[in-house]
Amino acid sequence: MKKTYISRSIISLLLLLSFTAFAQQKQKQPQAKPADTAAAPVPVIPVKKDRYGIRIGADLHRLSRSFYEDGFTGIELVADYRLTKKIYAAAELGNVKFTVDDAQVNFTTKGNYLKVGFDYNAYENWLDMENMIYVGFRYGFATFNQNLNSYRVYQNSALDDIDDTTTPVNYFDEVTVNTDRNYSGLTAHWVELIGGVKAKLFNNLFLGFSVRLNGLISDKKPADFDNLYLPGFNRTYDGKFGVGFNYTLSYLIPLYKKQAAPKEAAPATPAANK
Amino acid sequence: MKRLIGSLALLLVICCYLAGCEKDDICAESTPTTPRIVLGFFSRTNHSEVKPVIRLEVFTEGSPDTIHLGTIPEVSLPLRVDATSTKWALTYNRIDGSTSTGFDPDTDYLEFKYTTREEYVSRACGYKVLFTLEDNTDLLPNPVLSDVPGDNHLWIESTEVLTTNIENEEDIHIKVYY
Repeated sequence: MKKTYISRSIISLLLLLSFTAFAQQKQKQPQAKPADTAAAPVPVIPVKKDRYGIRIGADLHRLSRSFYEDGFTGIELVADYRLTKKIYAAAELGNVKFTVDDAQVNFTTKGNYLKVGFDYNAYENWLDMENMIYVGFRYGFATFNQNLNSYRVYQNSALDDIDDTTTPVNYFDEVTVNTDRNYSGLTAHWVELIGGVKAKLFNNLFLGFSVRLNGLISDKKPADFDNLYLPGFNRTYDGKFGVGFNYTLSYLIPLYKKQAAPKEAAPATPAANK
Repeated sequence: MKRLIGSLALLLVICCYLAGCEKDDICAESTPTTPRIVLGFFSRTNHSEVKPVIRLEVFTEGSPDTIHLGTIPEVSLPLRVDATSTKWALTYNRIDGSTSTGFDPDTDYLEFKYTTREEYVSRACGYKVLFTLEDNTDLLPNPVLSDVPGDNHLWIESTEVLTTNIENEEDIHIKVYY
């Protein structure tokens, strides 16, 4: 379990680095121009116009995981809408069916989730660059059901024989109980703290990566069982924390253009050098 | 910008740490799980006097696994979680090689009849089973005391059920008088 987590994180990081490097290469060429114009100020100052629109996409990680991991099927659609120069309204909508095979319990979680919130872009884009390094906040809500497929009764039945120096073993065999108990109508609320990047690949296509730290507000637990996995929230650690990430490919539908405010246009260059 | 990248890195580190966290994956020994039934041995003449059993040996009926215990005042015996009764054999003063103390070893059976219910513990421990002993009546005694067929001598005189709820191992559940 731990191994797959680490390898997954490493692969994602590598992919992310390669893409951001790729994105930067592309942007080097236009960067040469503003340097020239700055050296010799001429009346022709390129007018910086920001594109506003709705960006929709899907999470590639959940999509691919559905293929390579048995017991997992999931999809997450993402969207954001640019409100101001730096602030975006953002949302994720997902559906998950996940069977967890732990040592003591085997269960299937099935459900939907919706996360809504804001992203704040802290990256100063030059000219027509449209990249993001952002922090975000989400409120998440999920409705789901848990199906307890089987469980093992935890019983230590070892008896210490005084004439036997070997470690005592269980006197009775461990008992696995196959149930098919369904707990439906469960809900959960949580908040997420997000850090992420979005890089423009070309035209209207964006690639993004985000990591999420989730804090559970409340969840409706099944009677005599627990929510060990929550759709959208992921595995619960000590009941209160979860982590997640997504790796998105999205497409911008431009709606209108807005000229960057003149106040911001002037100090934009020195600010970017910070 | 620097501060932002710093905080993003911190977030990533926290996430990786939590993702690799396994501290709830092992059931801690201190966690109360399926309890055993605790028998205490007392004198048949004075019911409040603890009387340790000499060289006790226990096994379940039909099982070849016999467990040698020392000379002990009480014993904790596991119960079957997939049945509603468990029959334990208790041998008093077992023969260890040539050791002889002047008493003959004697085996009696105690059959415990109960109902089970499971209770969720945690991810690592899964479920535990708790037991409720069936009522002890004159017509249907519980536990059932019986002797090895052919042997007409019981070393155990009687039993007294202190609690029918077997939920932990903190106190003696049944007093055994001999």
